[in-house]
Amino acid sequence: MAAMDHSAAPDDALVQAARTGDMAAFEELIARHRDKIYARAYTMMRNEDEAVDLSQEAWVKGWQRLVQFQGESSFTTWMTRIVINLCLDQLRKRKRQRAESIEEMDEESGGVERQMPVVTVNPTERLERAELRVRIDEALGKLSEAHRTVLVLHEFEHMEYKNIAKTMNCSIGTVMSRLFYARRKMASLLQDLKKSE
Amino acid sequence: MKEDLQLKLQAFLDGELPSGEAQAVRDLLAGDAAARDLLVELTNTRDVIVAHEATIKVPESREFYWSKIQREISREEKTAAAPSFSVSAWLRRILVPAGAVAAVAIAVMLTLPHPGAGDFSTTSSEAAAFTYHDYATGTTLVWLDYPSENDFSDEESDDTLDL
Repeated sequence: MAAMDHSAAPDDALVQAARTGDMAAFEELIARHRDKIYARAYTMMRNEDEAVDLSQEAWVKGWQRLVQFQGESSFTTWMTRIVINLCLDQLRKRKRQRAESIEEMDEESGGVERQMPVVTVNPTERLERAELRVRIDEALGKLSEAHRTVLVLHEFEHMEYKNIAKTMNCSIGTVMSRLFYARRKMASLLQDLKKSE
Repeated sequence: MKEDLQLKLQAFLDGELPSGEAQAVRDLLAGDAAARDLLVELTNTRDVIVAHEATIKVPESREFYWSKIQREISREEKTAAAPSFSVSAWLRRILVPAGAVAAVAIAVMLTLPHPGAGDFSTTSSEAAAFTYHDYATGTTLVWLDYPSENDFSDEESDDTLDL
């Protein structure tokens, strides 16, 4: 049997090879998807070192759990779920250390956003795409961890309310409320961006 | 606008409302400018976020990033392969044979005849007191023959009736 050309092989072939212990195949998968997994960790944690550590931990867990990967979703989606769960665990630990719980995030902070005037003009339409990405990322960094997490899971991972609730171990109502406040806060931050131009 | 209505508008935007409720929201939007404005804002915000996720790259080289993962995988595999002391495993190793031995011992005790299951004894051939001792339960029963025909009883009787 000919040796596999890892760089040319599709993901599913690399996954199959990695399952049989082919570490080179796994390394190729990491090389292909490491930026996405790291980016998700960074978006949630807002800390480069933590994001590197958690993304690497996710890859180690991915290797150990490869037999559990059934191919129902793409390999990257599966890996993204692993890193999201690790980030949520880390955020919960961080919250516990600060004597508060991610489940008890003060929803009162959303009260201000609820009463804000509505922003009907798109404040971002004249910004360059690259600049807009940076500004949106900065605005995400200004959200609370719980609000940012819901927003990331919904907008970037395209998860439904019920799946976010399950992942975050909270009610669907809490997810809806956090998502609403997060969006309104983002609208407010992007509005400020327009004013400061 | 009430919070539940705001959340319903958002659920409508996200396609999370059942069809019946979605129609009710459409009807509401037709006659409520504030609801329409809020929906526009939520839609703009969602769309701009979705379309502009920051491009973030790992701040390490491929080789260095992989080397740390590889090292951790090797370390964990060695740890998993190494025999480790576990209290529960140790207890299983000790308790299972001990339990088997105890079970055999109990079975033997139950099947053997019980020579000392219970005996009768008397204090003397003439005594009017009988003792039964059950070893299994550790019980001792004493029967006193009354009215007694022995000398002691007679004497006691005499003493008692000596008026």
